[in-house]
Amino acid sequence: MKIQQGFSLVRIWVYVFFGTLLFLVTWIWTYQIDSTLGISAFANGWILFGILVFLSLFSARKRLPFLPLASSSRWFLLHVVCGFLALFLFWLHIGGMWSKGFYGQVITILFYITSISGVVGLFIEKVYPRQLTRSGVEVIYERIPMEIAEIREEVESLILKCTEETGSSTLAEHYLETLRRYFQRPRFFINNIFGSHLPQHWVRQQCMILERFLNEKEREYLDKVYALAEKKRKIDFHYTLQTLLKTWLLVHIPLAGAVMAMVIWHLILIMVFFV
Amino acid sequence: MEDNKFGHDQSNYERPNLPYRCGRASLWQTPCNHGPEVDGTCGGTQECTPFLKNDRWECRREKRFGGPCEDGPGSGGECSIQRPPCAPRSTLRIIRGRLVLLAVSIVLALIGTSLVLDPKVGGMVSISDAGPLSKSHAKFTEKEGCATCHIAYGQGPVEWIKAVFSNSDLSSRCVNCHSFGGPSFKAHNANMSPDRKVGDTQCVMCHREHNGPGMSVRALFSDQCNSCHKNKFTSLEHGHPEFSKKYPYFNRNSIKFDHGSHLKKHFENPKVSDKAPGSCIGCHMITLEDREVRPSSYEIVCAACHDSQIKKKELILLRLPELVQNRIDRDSLVQACNFPEGNVKEEEEFLSVSTEQPALVSAFLLNIPEDDPEIYDQPIQDLVLAMAEESSVPFAELIDSQTETPMSENLLMGLNPEVLKRAACSWGLNREYESPAEVRFGGWYTDMLEIRYKPSGHADPVVKSWLEFALAVSLNQKEEDKAARAIAMRDQILSAKDGVGGCIKCHAVSEVKNSKVGSHLAVAWKYESKSDSPYVLYKHENHIEILGTKGACSNCHILNKEVDYMASFKEYDPVNWVSNFEFISKKTCMQCHSESQIDLECQKCHLYHFKPSFKKDMLVVKAESVSTTP
Repeated sequence: MKIQQGFSLVRIWVYVFFGTLLFLVTWIWTYQIDSTLGISAFANGWILFGILVFLSLFSARKRLPFLPLASSSRWFLLHVVCGFLALFLFWLHIGGMWSKGFYGQVITILFYITSISGVVGLFIEKVYPRQLTRSGVEVIYERIPMEIAEIREEVESLILKCTEETGSSTLAEHYLETLRRYFQRPRFFINNIFGSHLPQHWVRQQCMILERFLNEKEREYLDKVYALAEKKRKIDFHYTLQTLLKTWLLVHIPLAGAVMAMVIWHLILIMVFFV
Repeated sequence: MEDNKFGHDQSNYERPNLPYRCGRASLWQTPCNHGPEVDGTCGGTQECTPFLKNDRWECRREKRFGGPCEDGPGSGGECSIQRPPCAPRSTLRIIRGRLVLLAVSIVLALIGTSLVLDPKVGGMVSISDAGPLSKSHAKFTEKEGCATCHIAYGQGPVEWIKAVFSNSDLSSRCVNCHSFGGPSFKAHNANMSPDRKVGDTQCVMCHREHNGPGMSVRALFSDQCNSCHKNKFTSLEHGHPEFSKKYPYFNRNSIKFDHGSHLKKHFENPKVSDKAPGSCIGCHMITLEDREVRPSSYEIVCAACHDSQIKKKELILLRLPELVQNRIDRDSLVQACNFPEGNVKEEEEFLSVSTEQPALVSAFLLNIPEDDPEIYDQPIQDLVLAMAEESSVPFAELIDSQTETPMSENLLMGLNPEVLKRAACSWGLNREYESPAEVRFGGWYTDMLEIRYKPSGHADPVVKSWLEFALAVSLNQKEEDKAARAIAMRDQILSAKDGVGGCIKCHAVSEVKNSKVGSHLAVAWKYESKSDSPYVLYKHENHIEILGTKGACSNCHILNKEVDYMASFKEYDPVNWVSNFEFISKKTCMQCHSESQIDLECQKCHLYHFKPSFKKDMLVVKAESVSTTP
């Protein structure tokens, strides 16, 4: 089975083309309505509302994976294209980039933060999976605690074994003073976000610094501990990137919900006071 | 990592859609096999749930978790591997759902709060606030707030639901304060003929509110004009029709001021050149003026040269003419004039003291020919005797009998009855009346054989009344002879050269047509502003600011030396005339208003509404607000 990595370029351009076309048609229509002394905000407002509803449906679609409503990747691509389209339509609707009035400003702020979180999410969704693949490790996000616990247990059993076999406590003392904290839970979260090499250097440094104080037998155990520390470092990297892949939605979706609530309130006000 | 690590018999099946995850895993410990229960309690206090088979408890630990344990279940069926319970944590999915609820709840709370709070209290956080009003509307809506324009504002939910299904008709609220010179909801507030199929208009078609105090509610663009106008064009430069051939001098000036003769002749005359203005602004006020640059007052502009001329031109009310014979009853005269008995001698042969003709005014009043002494002899002498008896009363009666409304009070204002009587007594005796002193100031006086009026200066009320009287009586005479006399009197009084005060030298006389009372002639006593193009917007001040005060006027107003400006005033038609200046064409404006220079939008030069104003109530509110402003 062929696993599709990302979007088909042709499909992207087709969707972008139709998105742009819809925007241009709306723009021309708006201009025409303004020219004929109509209220263009009704026209482009309803189109914008339709787009926002469609964007919201993506979340619902993910909850209904069994329905034959096209693939999630296609929905995601449409969501991205419509997201940008909504931003341009929003500017067209408010006739600028900033609204007047408290509730207009609340909608604007919420809409912008939602849009920015969406763009950040798109970046995360497109860049991080490749970086995870390149790391050479595959791990399910929910299993990371178990993986870390397993590594920690393995390291600690190696240390005990080393102490028993060699009668030296150098490696054990070093573990308790330095490495134990490292194996406790995922580390270097911020460094991993920016792809820093600091975690790698730190692990190597902590192992190399001990090497000259160990005998041959202890060095064998140190090599095994180093290998496990490296494995843990990669899992930490997974943990960081997968956390971001999952948690950006904690910003995007609640704000999108707030935007929709405000949009419905806006519609009520328009229907009651203006139409 | 092992290849089969995620095999079905090697690892647990992760279900991130469940609401809870293992509390041990959240502390980076090895999670239990079972995981939390759906209700959020720990499900991993024991390794497995033993199964009773053939009266024997069997371990049910799955293969992927190590298969059956060595110790097996206890005799009571309890698992031998027991752990203290953990505190399960919510999964990301649940956290996300809660955050969505929280965000929506905050919005709903904000809406609810703003609805419950008094608008004045919650104004700052009103979630219904569509934006600040324009400066002009903000003040007038202070009292009623949003309800000034929005009917449903402050009403209950039922009214809101009704409002959704009914037309809010904002425009009808606009005319609560605004008024126009024509129908409010017709294009340009104009009464167009029914054959022109023009639909009704609404204020909200063009005007948008809630854009803040700095923004105009009148921000329109040319395309909006093109949406109705058949003759569509993009700008002044492209497609705008040429201006009318008379633009902007459609109607005759109310004040006859020949710019040609003044600029080229009088102002260059060394005798008066020191009184001449340095430029156009010497006579025209440009400060705070918009479309029309009015001339300054008579005292500033004209008095220096023309004031003395006014006083020289007098009115002759009565002149004792050449008489054929003495027809005055002596006894009556003696009695009227209180002459001592015997002092008045009868003349043996009557020889008239005057050889003149009667004045045109008295000839009209008495309806007598001024060139036939045989006819006017008796009426004149009767008048003289009546004057001797009653002073100005006979004149007042004669005047008032000419018009529907009495005018004698204004016409004879200041006429001294004593002097009049003395003069009449002298003339009754066929003698000249000798004035006790020379008349230096304005007013009525009698000298030798005449009753005269000397204008006191510009805008003399007696002079103005005589001109109006002359105009009034010249059109309503039925008898041919009297009509001729009225016209002769009118022409003399209105004569620029000899007429009293010489008013008509500067003030235009025009025929005013009135369907009810017919046409009549009227003197333009005051400068009349031109309001014949209500949809044209032009500000002289803005243009002069850019072009400067020196020579700026002649950029557009070019003197036409060829025309006979004063000839237009010989007739009374105010439309048929030629201006002192060449007509302004589109090209003149396009010197600056071209694509590369200054704005060409329709709204730059045209007004949409016809005579936009405020209703009386609004003006009262405005006046109150101005008076309360510290």
